[in-house]
Amino acid sequence: MGGAPLSIWEQARLQGHSRRDFLQFCSWLAAAAGIQASGLSQVVHALDTKPRLPVVWFHFQECTCCSESFIRSSHPIVSDIILDKISLDYTETLQAAAGHQAEAALHETMTKHKGEYLMLVEGSVPSEADGVYCCIAGRTALDIVREAAADAKAIVAWGSCASNGCIQASRPNPTGATPIHQLISGKPTINVPGCPPIAEVMAGTIVYLLAFERIPQLDGLGRPKAFYSRRVHDTCYRRPNYDAGLFVESFDDENAKRGYCLYKMGCRGPVTYNSCGVIRWNNGVSYPIQSGHGCIGCSEASFWDNGPFYRHLASFPGFGIETTADTVGVAVGAVTAAGIAAHAITTNIRKRKVIAEGISESTPATKGEGESHG
Amino acid sequence: MASRIVIDPITRIEGHLRIEIEVKDGRVVDAYSSGTMVRGFELILKGRDPRDAWAFTERACGVCTTVHALASVRTVEDALGIAVPPNAELVRNLMFCAQYLQDHVVHFYHLHALDWVDVVSALKADPKQTSALAQSLSSWPKSSPGYFSDLQRRLAAFVDSGQLGIFAHGYWGHSAYKLPPEVNLIGVAHYLEALEWQKNIVRVHTIFGGKNPHPNYLVGGAPCAINLDDANAINAERLAFVGRLFEEAQAFVEQVYLPDLLAVAGFYKDWGAIGGGLSNYLAYGDLPTRGYGDLAGFKFPRGAILDRNLDQVVEVDGKDPDQVREFISHSWYAYSDGDDASKHPWDGETRLNYTGPRPPYEQLEVDQKYSWLKTPRWKGHPMEVGPLARLLVAYASGSAEVKEEVGGALKALDVPVAALFSTLGRTAARGLETRLIARWSTEFYQQLLDNIKNGDARMADQTKWDPSTWPAEARGVGLSEAPRGALAHWIVIRDGAIDNYQLVVPSTWNASPRDAQGQRSAYEAALIGTPIADPEQPLEVLRTIHSFDPCIACAVH
Amino acid sequence: MNGATIERVYVWQLPVRLYHWVNAACVATLAVTGYMIGRPMTVPVIGEASFSYFFGWVRFIHFVAAFVFFFNFLGRIYWGFAGNRYAHWDQFLPLTPRLLRKQWREAVEVMKVDILQAKVEPMESVGHNALAGWTYFLSFLAFLFQSVTGFGMYAAMSDAWLPHMFAWIVPLMGGDFAVRQWHHMMMWFFIVFSMIHVYLVFYHDYVEGRGVISSMAGGWKFVERRK
Ligand code: HEM
Ligand code: HEM
Ligand code: NFV
Ligand code: SF4
Ligand code: SF4
Ligand code: F3S
Ligand SMILES: [Mg+2]
Repeated sequence: MGGAPLSIWEQARLQGHSRRDFLQFCSWLAAAAGIQASGLSQVVHALDTKPRLPVVWFHFQECTCCSESFIRSSHPIVSDIILDKISLDYTETLQAAAGHQAEAALHETMTKHKGEYLMLVEGSVPSEADGVYCCIAGRTALDIVREAAADAKAIVAWGSCASNGCIQASRPNPTGATPIHQLISGKPTINVPGCPPIAEVMAGTIVYLLAFERIPQLDGLGRPKAFYSRRVHDTCYRRPNYDAGLFVESFDDENAKRGYCLYKMGCRGPVTYNSCGVIRWNNGVSYPIQSGHGCIGCSEASFWDNGPFYRHLASFPGFGIETTADTVGVAVGAVTAAGIAAHAITTNIRKRKVIAEGISESTPATKGEGESHG
Repeated sequence: MASRIVIDPITRIEGHLRIEIEVKDGRVVDAYSSGTMVRGFELILKGRDPRDAWAFTERACGVCTTVHALASVRTVEDALGIAVPPNAELVRNLMFCAQYLQDHVVHFYHLHALDWVDVVSALKADPKQTSALAQSLSSWPKSSPGYFSDLQRRLAAFVDSGQLGIFAHGYWGHSAYKLPPEVNLIGVAHYLEALEWQKNIVRVHTIFGGKNPHPNYLVGGAPCAINLDDANAINAERLAFVGRLFEEAQAFVEQVYLPDLLAVAGFYKDWGAIGGGLSNYLAYGDLPTRGYGDLAGFKFPRGAILDRNLDQVVEVDGKDPDQVREFISHSWYAYSDGDDASKHPWDGETRLNYTGPRPPYEQLEVDQKYSWLKTPRWKGHPMEVGPLARLLVAYASGSAEVKEEVGGALKALDVPVAALFSTLGRTAARGLETRLIARWSTEFYQQLLDNIKNGDARMADQTKWDPSTWPAEARGVGLSEAPRGALAHWIVIRDGAIDNYQLVVPSTWNASPRDAQGQRSAYEAALIGTPIADPEQPLEVLRTIHSFDPCIACAVH
Repeated sequence: MNGATIERVYVWQLPVRLYHWVNAACVATLAVTGYMIGRPMTVPVIGEASFSYFFGWVRFIHFVAAFVFFFNFLGRIYWGFAGNRYAHWDQFLPLTPRLLRKQWREAVEVMKVDILQAKVEPMESVGHNALAGWTYFLSFLAFLFQSVTGFGMYAAMSDAWLPHMFAWIVPLMGGDFAVRQWHHMMMWFFIVFSMIHVYLVFYHDYVEGRGVISSMAGGWKFVERRK
């Protein structure tokens, strides 16, 4: 051990990979990250010369499905990322060390690679009650996240938990669950929402950072544009059915068996930005809509509070679960119509007097000046 | 005097678990298990649409994804009196099987193996001998000397890089590691192969539920319609895909997982007498073959075993107010009628009330409240749940398949039945049930094909979909078996919305703090008596704790 | 005519009238197509999706109407500065204290007419009465809101620069779902507004007898002038 860390190419060579394998991997990388052919040499150069990027992966208020999703990545395969591309120095889910040895691994990376390590966060951070709702090694997540972020090179917020709070932040958010970007400022932070995000989107984000040493283009919500700039609806293969007005009316009906549009089953595809329709899940096998269930909007902020999931309109706040904007709208409309009718009737009852006055007003010599409106 | 050792975080588990132990004369004399993260699911579920609950509860855990969704749709269906079509039951079973296959394999290789396998020792292995050994264990094709020497080179390069990543600061070289270098090398090889393999079997979820983790479920059936004449539905191509995935899974389990398990276990037979803990076992049963209403048709039977008495299986009823009850005497919650009370989940309460030490802290106040887990009891007894409990209940219920499977393993290892009640027994039970499940999956698959062939393409019953068809008040319970053990959800529906929702989860049973009487739950009990060679490197604690496959996000929710 | 004469006043110039009816038509179209987008009905289509584009047309009409609606609205804003005094902005917004006092007095009078159905002074205003002006201003704000949210959502499906000018609204409101909910709710504002508005112009036409309705067609109102 010791000496200068080996570059990714040197390691690949040691592992018996040919230069050709290596270049192939680089071009896959470039393609995945949406780089033009002219940028390929940059990728090759980067991986040729770089030591493995030190990475620490935190778990706070989460369900670990982001980790689970990550290990489903098919290109690049995960053992390659973990063993050959990055140095995953801290991750409670997979690391061998426990207890104070685990903490030692973390602090070693934070001091040895100060300013250089990549910080990945899975889960939100509770801010109520001084953060006691999530503690690790006797310290609050709040404390840990602040310390680790201070010297991180960049932060990736995995999943809806870390990027928008997800389920634990939904009403009434009992623990004050907070996404990372609301706690840390002044650090480049990439949000990769989804519950969980697609494996290849996660791997693609890491690989981009690795190869280009810069933050990918982000949208207004801090999400990589490469994966979150299109609505599920706009890349949905059932879209022609939507455009034709062909809808599933009830689960397992004839229309469901024909794969019609799931809009009326509450599909959130029209309001959800994600690449499910393009990349699909688990190496392109399917995605929610292809398997007959509407999108529930799992990559959108506060999608849990946009329920019920099987209806397009949310419940109208304060009016019970079955009340929507339409129910309220129809009610207000009906009251208005009733008001108008009542008004018209009373006007009509008074009609004789009003008309009489009106006529007298406009008829010369009936009334004198100044007393016309008495 | 006993000395306190704190292990926090316990790694290679799901969630945030802290173990504090008292060690005296090289043995654990007392133990405390604490879950240190809470999200408040039971509070969040209130007022929501019961038909959405599966999606919420599924997010309790991404490691045992789908199991909460299953328990949840069953709960709602129970409350509303919905019976799902046979095809939906079969699809649910197939998703269940896929979950077990993935979860158990990942647990064995990625969460548990490093407690037994010394990665660094694998560098000393002789590839030729490793190959010979591997070929004597199974017919798995990846076993040539070249394969193992390539791997060894890759491992050496990794170690030489000076960046040890996930292997940094492990307990390598600890005196409790007993495997010869060759077995360690096989372990490392299969660690990597299993990592590749696990992402295939979950495609069963992707096909039926659209994604994994967190596939979609549906109250009343399954969302994926069947239509052999359409590309957009479950058709011949999709079905063939599913069939192939299960075939490959069965091959992996038979040729890799089980041989490895038995090979490793052979070197650690002393662990057949360590980590037994409680003597009561609980299983709710699952994998219905004639509908969820017909208990006699379950592949995993329901029942409880008390005092390790395998001659008697006691009946279990989730609706009986005197059976399952939760305590919070040592949990950071408050009950309206006093913290020493206990509650049946239909009347359950969840009020967060932290009273522990201010962070940063060194030790928990273990004589008071010390965990975010509630403490479930069955008729007042602490119960162990999980693969071991499932197999014991099935064994005691007279299941021929299970008896044969268990008998075969005991014989292969040459250990007595009593060795089951241990850390080793728990780990072996997980492997044995995986093999059973791999077999059963092909039965369910065939039944699904037969059903469709016979003209039944129904996948969902939607007659009670509309809330206007529901009674003003309804209550239900959904019982299931998650990979980690007996799982149940309880619901109270009022005016179309959730009035109360309580989850009592396998890891809640096993990892909870003590109850009002001071009785320990499974983790704490199992640790008592565990030998500790080096208090600085409590590897033995990890072995027993990992044998339960902790999931603390599940346990607390 | 004892002390009073009826005068014909040219109140609504052509751009205002044009604006009004184009706007009314657009709002009606947008509400109908919008409602269909939000709650599609079952279309009995025979055959494959590829033969039909029914719903695509509904959306297409919504978007065409949206553009017309938006530029028509911009035109009216311009005319608020360029048009005659009845079209001017101070008819809707009392920007000076004096105007405020005047419009407030008139608004109270109008309420007496509308709600108590009492007969009062003839309106000082020749154009909008003050209360009407204020509600129209409210509706202008609603037009603006509907345009911002509509184009904000549209940005994701369009490469045109115009929708992209409004793309910021989506992250600001917390995502497409929220934007759509508000956009949908606002449809009900327009429906209720139109019901009341149409009723009240008829009512005022009736009680005031100044030719209010026809004024939006021809431009002329009949106004009582004291000698
Ligand atoms: C008075 C004016 C308008 C009314 C009453 C109206 C009404 C509606 C309604 C009810 C919806 C359905 C919302 C839902 O999903 O529940 C909708 C959708 C939409 N409207 Fe409007 N709208 C108006 C103006 C506009 C304008 C000016 C635009 C600008 C482009 C616009 C763009 C859209 C878009 C993009 C959608 C979503 C369509 C889709 O995703 O398929 N709307 N509108
Ligand atoms: C049959 C339907 C309608 C009739 C007969 C009608 C009639 C009128 C009349 C007579 C005026 C002038 C009122 C006054 O002097 O205070 C007016 C103004 C106005 N109406 Fe309507 N209207 C109709 C529909 C609508 C609709 C659907 C909308 C929009 C939602 C609308 C929006 C307006 C606005 C904004 C003004 C003020 C115009 C300006 O000063 O630019 N109207 N309408
Ligand atoms: N305990 C637990 Fe679970 C399981 N198996 C579920 O119910 O892990 Ni996440
Ligand atoms: S974002 Fe969703 S998938 Fe990821 S950890 Fe959170 S709950 Fe799990
Ligand atoms: S299924 Fe959903 S995403 Fe696909 S076209 Fe229909 S509404 Fe859009
Ligand atoms: S629910 Fe999530 S997985 Fe994709 S289709 Fe919708 S964003
Ligand atoms: Mg609970």
